[in-house]
Amino acid sequence: MAETQTLDARVAALGGADAAPHRSLWRRIEPAAWGAGSFLVLLLVWQFVPYFVPLKPGTRLFFTVPSRVAATLWQMIVSGSLWAPLGVSATAFAIGLAIAIVVGLPLGILIGRSSLLNAMFDPFITAFNATPRLVFLPLLMLWLGIGLWSKVAIVFIGALFPLLINTYEGVRNGDKLLINVVRSFGAKEWDIARLVVVPNALPFIVVGLRLAIGRAVLGVVVSEFFGSQEGLGVVMVRAASGFQVDVVFAGLIVFAGLSLLMTGLVKLVEDRMTRWRPEHVNAP
Amino acid sequence: MRQATPVAGRCGLGDHDRRLQGEIRRTQENRIVRMAGYIEGRNVSLTFRPPNRAPLRALGGFDIAVEEGEFLSIVGPSGCGKSTFLNVVLGLTKPDSGEVLMHGKPIGGPGSDRAMVFQEFGLLPWRTVQHNIELGLELKKVPAEKRRATAERLVVLVGLAGFEQHYPHELSGGMKQRVGLARALATDPDVLLMDEPFAALDAQTRDLMQAELLRIWREARKTVLFVTHQIDEAIYLSDRVVVMSKRPGRAKKVFAIDLPRPREYEMRVTPEFNDLKLEIWNTLKDEIVA
Repeated sequence: MAETQTLDARVAALGGADAAPHRSLWRRIEPAAWGAGSFLVLLLVWQFVPYFVPLKPGTRLFFTVPSRVAATLWQMIVSGSLWAPLGVSATAFAIGLAIAIVVGLPLGILIGRSSLLNAMFDPFITAFNATPRLVFLPLLMLWLGIGLWSKVAIVFIGALFPLLINTYEGVRNGDKLLINVVRSFGAKEWDIARLVVVPNALPFIVVGLRLAIGRAVLGVVVSEFFGSQEGLGVVMVRAASGFQVDVVFAGLIVFAGLSLLMTGLVKLVEDRMTRWRPEHVNAP
Repeated sequence: MRQATPVAGRCGLGDHDRRLQGEIRRTQENRIVRMAGYIEGRNVSLTFRPPNRAPLRALGGFDIAVEEGEFLSIVGPSGCGKSTFLNVVLGLTKPDSGEVLMHGKPIGGPGSDRAMVFQEFGLLPWRTVQHNIELGLELKKVPAEKRRATAERLVVLVGLAGFEQHYPHELSGGMKQRVGLARALATDPDVLLMDEPFAALDAQTRDLMQAELLRIWREARKTVLFVTHQIDEAIYLSDRVVVMSKRPGRAKKVFAIDLPRPREYEMRVTPEFNDLKLEIWNTLKDEIVA
């Protein structure tokens, strides 16, 4: 009962905050404002380093400032030289991540619900998870070539495990009482998964998805660095060997943007699916 | 101890049955109840075997006969297997030996003729009040239109009109249990199983919910099996009260509560009520291991 009381108190507190809109607005944007502010300061310091620190001509070759990176990125966007390599990278990313989701979610649920499957799969999952997945890259390139599919494969195995393991953990954390409730109404295993287990595991699945997105981007970048014909990573490697530091930074920003965009998308979906919660911030 | 009061002990089952056979009782509300074994537990035994721990004998030859339309309460010391027995009747747990019959047939699993009201409410937090109430109907593949009609009717019956679109976390404990009750009634079961449904509520809410339950029981005409720790609650609500022994649980004594219905709160301070309370307490206290 104490639990509900604190919840009620929290709901009441939220209502009270609405009564004073100015304070609540600042309170809501305060962390974001501090974050943006410190980022801006960092950019400014970086921008003005050349004015304060004397750089040798050799060092100057490997140095750039934010304004030049921005100009280069803008140039790549308007000239269209960004889109073809980004398309190649994004394709590998999207296909690999999609397969990882399609395989990882159901498999995580199955392994979480069945002790037999858990016993069968556990050695593989533990062994694979303990191995840095990028070590498979030379093999995958040998088997699948240096085109799209070796990249897809490396994205897939990178994204699969965080998804699989988090889904599994979420399913194992299923509320026994709620499972009994739906069973008492005649629910079969499929209904139990649909009505209780998956909604219950959702916060875990979301965490898994966020990690998977990071691993997927990593997979694309590294496989393109390692050896590939096309893609944004290839552009970055070539630019680096030609001392075009701003292009490397531009590529970095695009990859970061891709990752942020996907994570934001996940957050959006999560918010839509968890509107029933008293607060939207209690993901583990 | 059992020899002294062989009302419903293991060996007392035969007597019990004979006593009940064909007997007709007229309740205060003029409801005619045929005293036959509507739900029968025969020598029900169950041992839990948790991994890496000593096995726990929850039920050791529990006998019970519940009549149709009856409000029967089970009281007993903590861990005597009261809730376990309800889970057996519900069909979620299978006994090691003995059997539980309903309409003379053994209970094989969950069925829509029984529904449970859970102590910790067991509401799906991501569903609104209305969709929580519809849960059982949804699993029975009842069309959405009919489900909504049933939910609307029950929301009114349990006094939650206007809260259909609220989520459980927006409700008080008493309101949550009203949803739990409505959800159990939605599939129109013959038997309501109630596992300490009001234990998580404060004293005043509990008193209120007891009165509400009696009103709903009168309207819905269900057989109710009610597990509680509170002797007051058991007497106030029930037609009969079964006192269980300590673990492994057996029926120790059955008390008929011949207090008039409809019952009002004032009934709790009458001498008859207090006499029963004392008698039940005296039967129960030897079983309580502090």
